[in-house]
Amino acid sequence: MERSYGIEVENLVREFKKGPRAVDGVSLSVSPGEVYGFLGPNGAGKSTIVLMLTTLLPPTSGTARVAGFDIVKEGSGVRASIGAALQEAALDPFLTGREHMNLQASLHGLARKERKVRGDELLERVGLSEAAARRVRGYSGGMKRRLDLALALVHRPKILFLDEPTTGLDPQSRSALWDEVAHLAREDGVTVFLTTQYLEEADMLADRVGIIDEGRIVAEDTPEALKAEIGRPSVEATPADFGKLDAVSKVLGRFGEAVPASSGSAAVRLEHGDLATVVRALDAEGIEMANLQLNSPTLDDVFLEKTGRSLEGSSDGEESDG
Amino acid sequence: MKALFSVTFAVAGRQLRRFFGNITFLAPAAFPVFFFAAFAGGLSRVGDVPGFEFAAGYTAFQFVWALLQAVAMGGAFTGFAIAGDFESGFARRFLIAAPNRGGIILGYVFASLVRTTFTGSLVFIVAIIAGMEILGSGVDLFGLVGLALVVNVAATLFGCGVAMLLRTQQAGPLIQTPIFMLLFLAPVYVPLELLEGWLEMVASLNPLTAIITTGRSFIAGDPTGVPTAFLTAFSLVAVFLIWAYLGLRSAERSG
Ligand SMILES: Nc1ncnc2c1ncn2[C@@H]1O[C@H](COP(=O)(O)OP(=O)(O)OP(=O)(O)O)[C@@H](O)[C@H]1O
Ligand SMILES: [Mg+2]
Repeated sequence: MERSYGIEVENLVREFKKGPRAVDGVSLSVSPGEVYGFLGPNGAGKSTIVLMLTTLLPPTSGTARVAGFDIVKEGSGVRASIGAALQEAALDPFLTGREHMNLQASLHGLARKERKVRGDELLERVGLSEAAARRVRGYSGGMKRRLDLALALVHRPKILFLDEPTTGLDPQSRSALWDEVAHLAREDGVTVFLTTQYLEEADMLADRVGIIDEGRIVAEDTPEALKAEIGRPSVEATPADFGKLDAVSKVLGRFGEAVPASSGSAAVRLEHGDLATVVRALDAEGIEMANLQLNSPTLDDVFLEKTGRSLEGSSDGEESDG
Repeated sequence: MKALFSVTFAVAGRQLRRFFGNITFLAPAAFPVFFFAAFAGGLSRVGDVPGFEFAAGYTAFQFVWALLQAVAMGGAFTGFAIAGDFESGFARRFLIAAPNRGGIILGYVFASLVRTTFTGSLVFIVAIIAGMEILGSGVDLFGLVGLALVVNVAATLFGCGVAMLLRTQQAGPLIQTPIFMLLFLAPVYVPLELLEGWLEMVASLNPLTAIITTGRSFIAGDPTGVPTAFLTAFSLVAVFLIWAYLGLRSAERSG
């Protein structure tokens, strides 16, 4: 494994004077070009780790290397290799978007001509060309987030830290940002360290997910593997004609063990086959379906399994039906 | 080195953009200008006090103090701006991007210097309008300007240190009060020789006294105590440079 553009964290600890052990012995490793998702509830310690890895906060103990540089002894090397969009975007309400780009580019020592070109290119990329000459004071939350992301990319960093990049964004802005992050990772080979409270986000974007709770990593793997550990997906079927419910249950029974379903529906946890084979089987019986859905085990199920609690703000309402 | 200057100019450029985006950037000159408008005429009779001999007249005598007040307050106002940047979190952008964080301090100092050129000039113009006589030559005035700039750097570094230590706007009074005390516990209205009692004792210990006295001698065309004044001013810069770095270290530790 190339060492240069990865992240290596060993037993990192951060204590606050009048607070908890915000980070309590975290070890992890992110390979170059990988998207690592850090998933955890409020106060889990996500931001504290990001602050330490971006050299804004010294660790109480433990070590970490970012892009091959020690975060304590070689801070300037780390800073030259990373871009970061922190949880609270650091923007000056009185400067315009373009002035921010120019400032960031000068901080990184880009030449004057390059500053202009690079700034305009990135503003275009995040869809802020129109708003570039406006003061940030008048930007919406989503625009600020996008500007912050563009700023983080000015010097073509090889490693990108994003602390809850989509919190507070509407679904459309969120998926646009996901596309952008995915593009950065796949096309430009940028290593991404991303924190989120959204299971869906970690699931969508991350190659690997670390689940953090109370300063400790409680599970870490690919989203698929984490979910597979919990179990197979379930299929829930709702016949168009309520009278066919028994017939539906019988067909489903061929594929696995019945699990609770909402009224008017039947559900099984798949032991073999997949959604397509279930559809074909139901079709062969000539049963008309009103609804048929595959419920994958979610990262929330993983979180529940590991911590005994459900992640706040996730799919709470939906699960209580059964 | 190149990285240091990139950061310096980036920070200074943004700070100046903020200063000039708003007319209040002249605020540090407000009090000195007001002072001139209100008192320069009335107080000129102080010149008749026995023992008061100042060739260039009372307005010129007062101008030097007013100028030093404007440049020192300019440093304090930059300190307020720094405190604001740390409170709002904007300073994190500098801390996270700057390979060399010393450039952040230098950038603020540079911006403060540019700003003080404007406020200092304003005080100068007002003094001329108020009828100030200048007996000193161009070289003498150059010396006065030099002293004023060094004082501005010292005050800015002091404010910078306090702002970075506290990282909240509440640092304001803690920046302003000591600067005001130094300014007023100096020979403000009469020369040191005419001060009496505790004020005389305090003023003779006040580092600003040597600077003000030499500044006045420049404008009177009879420079005295120049090495001492500059040495004092540069010592203040050295001490507050260390102070500002301590502030930066503290900010670096706090996240
Ligand atoms: N400067 C600080 N001083 C004292 N305690 C702190 C400080 N910063 C964070 N903490 C505490 O450390 C813990 C972890 O905080 P952190 O901000 O890292 O959580 P997080 O996972 O980012 O949460 P969120 O999703 O709400 O952003 C919390 O209990 C928090 O109160
Ligand atoms: Mg956080």
